[in-house]
Amino acid sequence: MSEKRSGVFDKLKDAVKQVTYGMALHSQVTGVLKTRMYIEHLFTLMILGDMLGLPILPPYYSLRLLPYTIPSIKSWKHRFYRERDFTDIIYG
Amino acid sequence: MIGLRQYLEQNNETKMIIFAGKGGLGKTTCSAALAYHLAVNEGKRCLCFSTDPQASLSDIFERDIFGKGEIEVAPNLYVVEIDADKRIREYIEDVKRKIREMYKMEEIPPEIESYIETSAVEPAMYESATYDAMAEYLAEGKYDYYIFDMPPFGHGVRMIAMAEILSMWVDRITDARKKAKEYDEIAATLRGQRVLSEDKVLEELYDIQRKLGFFKDVMLDRRKTAFFMVMTPEKMSILDTERALDMFKELGLTLSGIVVNQVLPSSLANNSSKLLAHRVEMQQRYLDEIRRKFGGKVVSVIPMFDREPKGLGMLGEVAKYLVNPPTAV
Repeated sequence: MSEKRSGVFDKLKDAVKQVTYGMALHSQVTGVLKTRMYIEHLFTLMILGDMLGLPILPPYYSLRLLPYTIPSIKSWKHRFYRERDFTDIIYG
Repeated sequence: MIGLRQYLEQNNETKMIIFAGKGGLGKTTCSAALAYHLAVNEGKRCLCFSTDPQASLSDIFERDIFGKGEIEVAPNLYVVEIDADKRIREYIEDVKRKIREMYKMEEIPPEIESYIETSAVEPAMYESATYDAMAEYLAEGKYDYYIFDMPPFGHGVRMIAMAEILSMWVDRITDARKKAKEYDEIAATLRGQRVLSEDKVLEELYDIQRKLGFFKDVMLDRRKTAFFMVMTPEKMSILDTERALDMFKELGLTLSGIVVNQVLPSSLANNSSKLLAHRVEMQQRYLDEIRRKFGGKVVSVIPMFDREPKGLGMLGEVAKYLVNPPTAV
């Protein structure tokens, strides 16, 4: 019986935690992750700029980093080539 | 004229010795002869390394060493003639293998594959591969002396400038990566989690930074690196040396000394052959000019030999003049 009660209590505690996180921190985390994405794209541009036709330094050391950047190449290119308009100012 | 032995005694922290100058004046000969002397006569572990795309250490040591790694040609004397093309091919294959293994792919996506292939044929790749090899050998620290036979001057200087630029580039992207990691950590903390995996990119960058940083520090430290210009008593060579001195100044480097090579004995001035007598007279005139212009910098004068300076025996002969020059020319 007491086990069941503590299970319910744990669930409740978890729910309160999630709600608090959602209310207080979620938007902050989203903001941080968005900035993180910009930095990741900037980083990819610094090492793979050649892929978009922007000349960069000798690709010797970039190639060493290429295997790790593969997962973000698609979104990076997508973001780079995306059309931009004034709504970007509002929605980033 | 102090000769290279005295120079190295006075500068006992020297680790790296670089011979630079115009093509065909004897950089390879001087590099090989000094390496031979230090290894065979002084028992120091030496690595003689050619960064010249038209390297000729194979010819001078009369052994096929091209692209074969470190080859011991005499006791303590190791020689490397880098095959940059082969190094690039191996490097590219390594990158491709890593991608296939990391993402469990049979084939690399065509877009990535074509990027890698086009990068591989860029001219700068050749220099970078050579540079990377130099940095790697030096970072290993297995030898007492590293003697680098530089490609003709313009390239040689670019190689030094590259040390600075590449280190700067790596530092910048390492900073960008560190920033990204900081944001990862903030997001994780806010979520009540911890960042578990180490950033592999940052690890690679630290590795590159360590290697390049060490190389750059040694190369730009005048106590550890000695630059010698090789010249001949001819007008073009004098002009080239003057330009080189300006370039050295721009790069903040100090020229350690000048080696004058292919000097005909002055006793030949009275030779019955007009050609030879004129040639000697011309050389003597330019030797005066060299003394006037670079006097204090001349460390050795090497005569013109009756044979090509090839093989260990002849290198020993050249080394005598290089390390312990007779006082009068």
